[in-house]
Amino acid sequence: MNKFLPLLALGLSVGCTSLIKTGDRLERGLTPPDAVNYVTTKADGTFETQINDQRIAGKIALLAARKSKTPAGFAQAQFELRNDSYLGRTINVSFEWLAADGRVTETQPNWIVTPLEPGAIARVDATALKAESVECRLRLLSR
Amino acid sequence: MNKLLALAATAFLVVGCGTPASYKDPNGRELVVSLEKVDIQDFATAGSTMLQSMVNAPAFQKAGAAPVLQVGNVLNDTASNFDTSLLLTKITAPLVNAGRVRLLDSDPAAVAARKATPGAAVPVPEFVLKGKILEDRSNAGRTRQASFVFQLTLVEVKSSLAVWQDEKIVTKQGSKNSVGF
Repeated sequence: MNKFLPLLALGLSVGCTSLIKTGDRLERGLTPPDAVNYVTTKADGTFETQINDQRIAGKIALLAARKSKTPAGFAQAQFELRNDSYLGRTINVSFEWLAADGRVTETQPNWIVTPLEPGAIARVDATALKAESVECRLRLLSR
Repeated sequence: MNKLLALAATAFLVVGCGTPASYKDPNGRELVVSLEKVDIQDFATAGSTMLQSMVNAPAFQKAGAAPVLQVGNVLNDTASNFDTSLLLTKITAPLVNAGRVRLLDSDPAAVAARKATPGAAVPVPEFVLKGKILEDRSNAGRTRQASFVFQLTLVEVKSSLAVWQDEKIVTKQGSKNSVGF
C-alpha cells in the first residue's frame, strides 16, 4: 500500500492537470455565469443600459455613450468605461450596429479583451460601415 | 496485488481524465490561448480593431464612395506558419460586403484575364493595404510572454504616400497554454 501512494500522487500531479480545469468548471457551475450586458444608443441622443450580470454593478461604470457622424455621414459611437473597483479587472467588449427599425446591420462578433487597472478608463470607438446603421449596441462582459 | 491496483489506478488517472473534443464558438470566450502561436481570436482582435482605425482615417473617409483597394504583401515574420489572409479578411470582408471598397482581385488568373482583355476598363487600385506581423518573446522564470505585433499600412497609389498606419499588439503571458480569456 505504501508503494501505491506515491504512484497515486504522481498520477494526480503529472497526468491529470485537467482535474484543475474540471474543478474550475464545477466552481463556475455553482456560481451564476458571467452574463452579457448591453448599452444601446437611442435616436434622442440618450442611451439605454441592460445589466444582466449584477456583479458588474459598482465595479464598471459607464461614463459616457456619445454618438456622432463621420464627414462621409456614417454613424460613430464612443463609449467610456471606468474600473471603479480596487482590483484590476478585465472587461470584454464588442458591438453591433442597428438600423432605424431595430434590425442588426453590422456586427463585430469577437470579444476585445480589455484589461483595466483600478480607476482606469477604457474607450470603445465604433464606426458604422453601412449608411443604414444608426444606433450602436455595446456588448460588455466582465470576467 | 498492490502493484496491479496501483498500475490500474495510475492508468485510469492518466488516460481517463482528458477533455473530450467539442465544438466552440470561434468568437466565444472558451478558446485555447496559446503562448507559442497566433491564435484565431488574436487575428480577430487585431483585424477588427484595425478595421475600425482604418475607416476613421481622414484619407479613407475622403476617398470616393467605394475606392478600389488592392491587398499588397503582408509579411509573416513570426516563428509560426500561417496564412496572412486570416488577418486581412477580417478587414476586407466587412468593407467589401458593406460596399465601402471594391477589392481588386490579385489572383494570378484574374491578373492574366485583365491583361488578356485589351481595351477593357481595368480598375486601377486607389489604395494598397500592406503590412507585417512580428513577434517578441521574453520570460521570467517559468512565466513566458509572447507579443504578436500586427502592423498595417494603407498606401494611396497616386501619391505613393502612406495615408494610414496602425499597430496592434496582442500580448499573452503564462507558463502554459490555457482555455478561455
